[in-house]
Amino acid sequence: MLIEQYATYIGEGNVEEIKAVAEPLKGLKVLHVNSTKLGGGVSEILYRLIPLMRDLGIEAEWQVIKGDEEFFKVTKKIHNLLHMPGHERLTSEDIITYMRITHENLSYIDTSPYDIVFIHDPQPMGLIVNKLPHQKWVWRCHIDISTPDEETWKFIEMFINAYDAIVFHIAEFAKEGVKVPKFIIAPSIDPFHDKNVELDRNFILSVLEKFGIDPEKPILLQVSRFDRLKDPFGVIQAYKMVKKAYDCQLVLAGGYASDDPEGEEVYNEVMEEASKLKDVFILNLPPDSHYEINALQRSATVVIQKSIREGFGLVVTEAMWKEKPVVGSNVGGIRRQIVNGFTGYLVNSVEGTAYRIRQLLINSEMAKVMGRNAKERVRHTFLITRQLKDYLVLINYLINSDHIQS
Amino acid sequence: MEKFRFKSEVWTSEYTGIRANTIHAFLKALRHVHEDVIYYHLYRNIFEFHYLPLDYANSFAYWMAENGYYVLAEKLSVIDPLQYTNLEDIRLDLIKVLEESDEDLDVLCDKPFYFIRAIRMAVDLNIEATDLKTFVEGIKKIGWHSLFYHMVTARLKLGKPINDFSRWLENIGEKQLAEEVSNINLWAHTLREVKGKLISIIERRLYAH
Repeated sequence: MLIEQYATYIGEGNVEEIKAVAEPLKGLKVLHVNSTKLGGGVSEILYRLIPLMRDLGIEAEWQVIKGDEEFFKVTKKIHNLLHMPGHERLTSEDIITYMRITHENLSYIDTSPYDIVFIHDPQPMGLIVNKLPHQKWVWRCHIDISTPDEETWKFIEMFINAYDAIVFHIAEFAKEGVKVPKFIIAPSIDPFHDKNVELDRNFILSVLEKFGIDPEKPILLQVSRFDRLKDPFGVIQAYKMVKKAYDCQLVLAGGYASDDPEGEEVYNEVMEEASKLKDVFILNLPPDSHYEINALQRSATVVIQKSIREGFGLVVTEAMWKEKPVVGSNVGGIRRQIVNGFTGYLVNSVEGTAYRIRQLLINSEMAKVMGRNAKERVRHTFLITRQLKDYLVLINYLINSDHIQS
Repeated sequence: MEKFRFKSEVWTSEYTGIRANTIHAFLKALRHVHEDVIYYHLYRNIFEFHYLPLDYANSFAYWMAENGYYVLAEKLSVIDPLQYTNLEDIRLDLIKVLEESDEDLDVLCDKPFYFIRAIRMAVDLNIEATDLKTFVEGIKKIGWHSLFYHMVTARLKLGKPINDFSRWLENIGEKQLAEEVSNINLWAHTLREVKGKLISIIERRLYAH
């Protein structure tokens, strides 16, 4: 069984517990719907979660909505307006586009055979209009919607209220006043993913060599797309402060989508800034560079995640799994991932970032202990098996909830 | 001989929608939240204790400290859930600490407190023990949640201030072994370590036979 492979990391007893939790759900039909099969944290988790659910006897399926460029522009706008209201506005044309494509998907995706339907993020949430009375529908929200744009909220609220449950990463991401039951399930990583598997030392060295990085000199690493919200300029500033006294290298590894002009702009600015500095490597990598990212994380001395705003930075968990102390911003889900002073440090400024990096570089023994603590924390709390168990408990609860209430 | 049946209890988390911005609002909520909210914020912390900030023993206390109420944080930390056999008694003691406080309870806190409820699900693992040998084999087969259930949560279920393993060991006449198991300190060891200690204590007794 696929699930049994995970005993390597969590022990046979925990695998048996998961099987026992899944036992009452055998034969249950569960559908997950999102907007893409490739790329992004959601599809990455579903790619493994669906086979694991099937392995446990649940008839789990995964379907993806269809949409044209215009539709995805609108859903990106909705995403942005829910996450961080700004200058944009949701227009009546946007709403018409959203409803038109949702209507097309209603005939394309048949949700009727399923007992439980998980809808991931706002793109497919309109499918709820096809909900049947005996079904339980869950909206899995992967973003912070605590302070949304009011007009956009009013639009999606009519869909949300029809759901039986919403799942957030952390309670702070929930919008106050929503009456639908709200569950808290943190995202996770898969130890068998290419990004996380153990790597041969020679491969790691070959990756460093390919990019001209010195394996003998301490490496500070941030993995993130080129985006101002990830504060690459703050990371460079912190590096400059550290570099004054400690010889080290900075690697900023990530990418940007070809249709993301802002990403290209940020990348160019970062390149410009880096060109003035020694030992800084800016790596614009293709999205499928899993082994390279894995190798960079494994070779890092300190991993940084200096986001200005963050949902749940899976790269933080990935680095922790590789026994790295992470210096991360005291924001969003990062606050739940890093245990300050135990698995790494939470910081509030460029100066704090520099100070904590310096502390970890000076005290390599302490950094090692924190790295080990970090790995154990991930094993206990942030592996896919824990997320699977949470979903199984949630499904059990939902299918029994009518009975419980009566 | 009385059989021991290995069980487990898993949980997920539900945000109650109740959040407090002042100690006063916190106290008000604490009086009426579902008892599994108390369970979540105190017991789940024991489950994860070794992977959490170590300054304070539970998330209530941690929140107090985060907002500058260090005395309250210490007073709430000293409340040890392992000394209780029901959640209502813990609730009363938590309330007492806050009621007796001379802090200004209406000062707006920087960060709100979010009350979360554990949605608990009991699971039968279909593993039984009839003697010490099958008992230790059973312990080898169980996971963290089952271990936590028998060592910690079962006290609440049975209303007895003793862990489930020791209770059974006493019933089968293994009083000394029961005491040794009771003496394993859950605050000092991770669940992985606790499992290892249990196995070693029982196997030592088996070999002594």
